[in-house]
Amino acid sequence: MYNDDEELTVSEIEALAALPRELPPGDLLEERVVRELRREGHFTSGRSRARLNSAWRIAAAVALFTGGVATGRYLMTPGAPRDATVVPVELRESTATQVNRSGSLVAVREMWL
Amino acid sequence: MTGSFPIAELEPIAIPDVIPKTAMMTAATDSALIAAALNGAEAAFRELFRRHTPYLLQFVSRVLGASRADAEDVVQDTWLRAYPALVTFRSDSSFSTWLCSVGLRAALDSMRRGKRHTADTLFDDDYHVQPPATEERMDLETAIARLAPGYRMVLVLHDVQGFTHEEIGAQLGIAPGTSKAQLFKARRVMRALLTGREKHDVQ
Repeated sequence: MYNDDEELTVSEIEALAALPRELPPGDLLEERVVRELRREGHFTSGRSRARLNSAWRIAAAVALFTGGVATGRYLMTPGAPRDATVVPVELRESTATQVNRSGSLVAVREMWL
Repeated sequence: MTGSFPIAELEPIAIPDVIPKTAMMTAATDSALIAAALNGAEAAFRELFRRHTPYLLQFVSRVLGASRADAEDVVQDTWLRAYPALVTFRSDSSFSTWLCSVGLRAALDSMRRGKRHTADTLFDDDYHVQPPATEERMDLETAIARLAPGYRMVLVLHDVQGFTHEEIGAQLGIAPGTSKAQLFKARRVMRALLTGREKHDVQ
């Protein structure tokens, strides 16, 4: 059946061809590999991505709020440029005008005083 | 004439209660899965892993001639090396062939670490095969596993995987002539193991 020549015999070729080509891995191997790749930062899980998105949204909201407060304070300072103070001054004037117009309200207040 | 299709004659489709793991495999090509995996899609990587790991594990296990646990460690190392290198994969070759070449390098490194082999000692003739008890016959898989590392690798690559001596030389960093000589000796030892010949024939 076997010879010592370099070439394989027919039965040897058949035996080698009949060897199994696949070996199912253990259940944990896939998780081990994915966990390692995650740890190396190659991809993130869905939960991590959602957490990252929430953090970005919160940071954007805080930045917007802080920016708004800073802008408001700046506009209210006496040394602010004229153009910048136009809006609040006009707002104040319009409020005052509104109060004057509603004279009944002032009259009622004075009556009680 | 179109005619009506006899619906009543259709065989009912059997729906299994539990969907097997293989049924989760999609029809996406390897290239599409690789592109998605490189963009960070974990599901695409898992699909690629499930599709190619059984073949890779069998190949690595045979090359190492080691325990299943050791082979799985090398397979893990292979995927960790392969993922960042996916950008270099060209779809003109088979992905499993490319993956096996990464697996072969990981197996070589593992053997060198474990047994303190160098590139030369893996292919020297001083390594003696542990002979079977006289007249003991063994199956082909066991005989391959009992070969010296250099013999085993060349025999697996040539006779099982179908590589040429030039390809083996390029993969293992040896001359094609060395690969040929190793194969000749590997086959002789394998035959001795399979027929249960005397101890001196095996060495």
